[in-house]
Amino acid sequence: MEPLLEARGLVRTFGPIRAVDGISFSLDEGQLLTVLGPNGAGKSTLLGLLCGSLRPQAGEIRFRGELRDAGATEWRREIGVLSHRTWLYGALTARENLTFFGRIYGLADLAERIEASLAGVGLEAAADRWVREYSRGMRQRLALARTLLHDPALIFLDEPFTGLDIHASALLRDVLAWLKDGRRTVILVTHNLSEGLALSDRVAIQHQGRFAFLGDPSEIPAGDEERFYRDAVERPAGPSSGSDGGGPAGSSLRQDTDREGAFGVR
Amino acid sequence: MRSYLAEIRALAAKDLRVEFRTRERFASMTAFVVLSALLFNYAVDWTVVSPQDLASALIWMIIVLGGLLGLGRTFELEKEDGAMQGLLVAPVRRDALFLGKVVANCVLLAAVEVIALFAVALFFQVNFIPNGLPVAAVLGLGTVGFVSLGTLFSGITAGTRMGETLLPVLLFPLLVPLVVFGASATSTLLAGFPATTVYGSLRLLAAFSLLALACGMALFRYIVEE
Repeated sequence: MEPLLEARGLVRTFGPIRAVDGISFSLDEGQLLTVLGPNGAGKSTLLGLLCGSLRPQAGEIRFRGELRDAGATEWRREIGVLSHRTWLYGALTARENLTFFGRIYGLADLAERIEASLAGVGLEAAADRWVREYSRGMRQRLALARTLLHDPALIFLDEPFTGLDIHASALLRDVLAWLKDGRRTVILVTHNLSEGLALSDRVAIQHQGRFAFLGDPSEIPAGDEERFYRDAVERPAGPSSGSDGGGPAGSSLRQDTDREGAFGVR
Repeated sequence: MRSYLAEIRALAAKDLRVEFRTRERFASMTAFVVLSALLFNYAVDWTVVSPQDLASALIWMIIVLGGLLGLGRTFELEKEDGAMQGLLVAPVRRDALFLGKVVANCVLLAAVEVIALFAVALFFQVNFIPNGLPVAAVLGLGTVGFVSLGTLFSGITAGTRMGETLLPVLLFPLLVPLVVFGASATSTLLAGFPATTVYGSLRLLAAFSLLALACGMALFRYIVEE
């Protein structure tokens, strides 16, 4: 089966910093990939490249088998992005925010979708209040409704748990579980190990712009996740980390054939 | 085509709705044009200078300077909680995004211009009514050109630390032809000459505005992406 998303040899630098350094991977429809890594590992840059807000300096991204044109807009209809920043307008109400985004996505039956989305995140009662008056948790719930309003096939979640209270975190976990319906594909970027591993089908540990590990969660020893993670991020990044069979104990790193030093697992 | 126009409409409507609700830009622009007209009224010795001679230059200067206050903050809305990123990952054509901003800014500036004309008419005893339509055409064409360039350069300076200082430095040299043709046409019309005498200026203003609009549509994507 053709992967839904395929990245090959992605590179993105900022001055001397190689934020993404030759990352390759592919993701099948319905899978949830969690990208873990310490601050500054290049996770958000990778997400920016995948969702099209940044352009790669090298490498390619294929969506449904077709080379993705960053300038085109059609493939963007199939993605939804939730960042730790909400991308909402504070001087508009929740309903107006969703109406605006629904219109730029050209959605039919918008009023019904908005009502369902607001109900889904528990904001019906506050739908006509200015978003500026919302708490952080309410804003993030509304941002989640915006992300899912157009029913995207591929969803990017960038540190979605940041700043959320217990209630909002629980809601987000429920939504993540609900998204695992086999139809939607999700890439979750986080530095929270337990949140990241809970629902994922694939796990990547990014360090210094590269995947130090990419595999199934079952490959990470149960009860020893933190040590595994620490081993992965403390190893010096570079081509030798995978080709010599090194890496955290029990991992099954495989070198991608297209690019030295990039690791891919299907 | 329909979806393209719907995108522009949604973007412009969003900006206008926020502005109508907060009046942040409108209030500062209006206060500037009214106070400028009032101060000029006291600063000029009317026994030496005729109001008609000064009115056209004053209208254009207060519109350009007052407009700058609003245009410089075109993308403030998108800075709030990273909203520009939300637009960039959405299926919005970059030229539609630019046109949406231009439409909203044109509506906003047109409202300020109406107030500016009233202020100048009141303080300078100038009657715009005899040549009202041609004056509106001159101001309308000038507004499109000014707003197109202003929106484009506001996008460039929005990401810089000295954006509000940088905007006039970059923009003013390019506005020289617009102000020259606009002010001379307005002056001619206020002196009571028929509209046919300013057709040349109107054509030049239209060409300038179309060029500014086309440049903005073509270049905007390179400004907002990354």
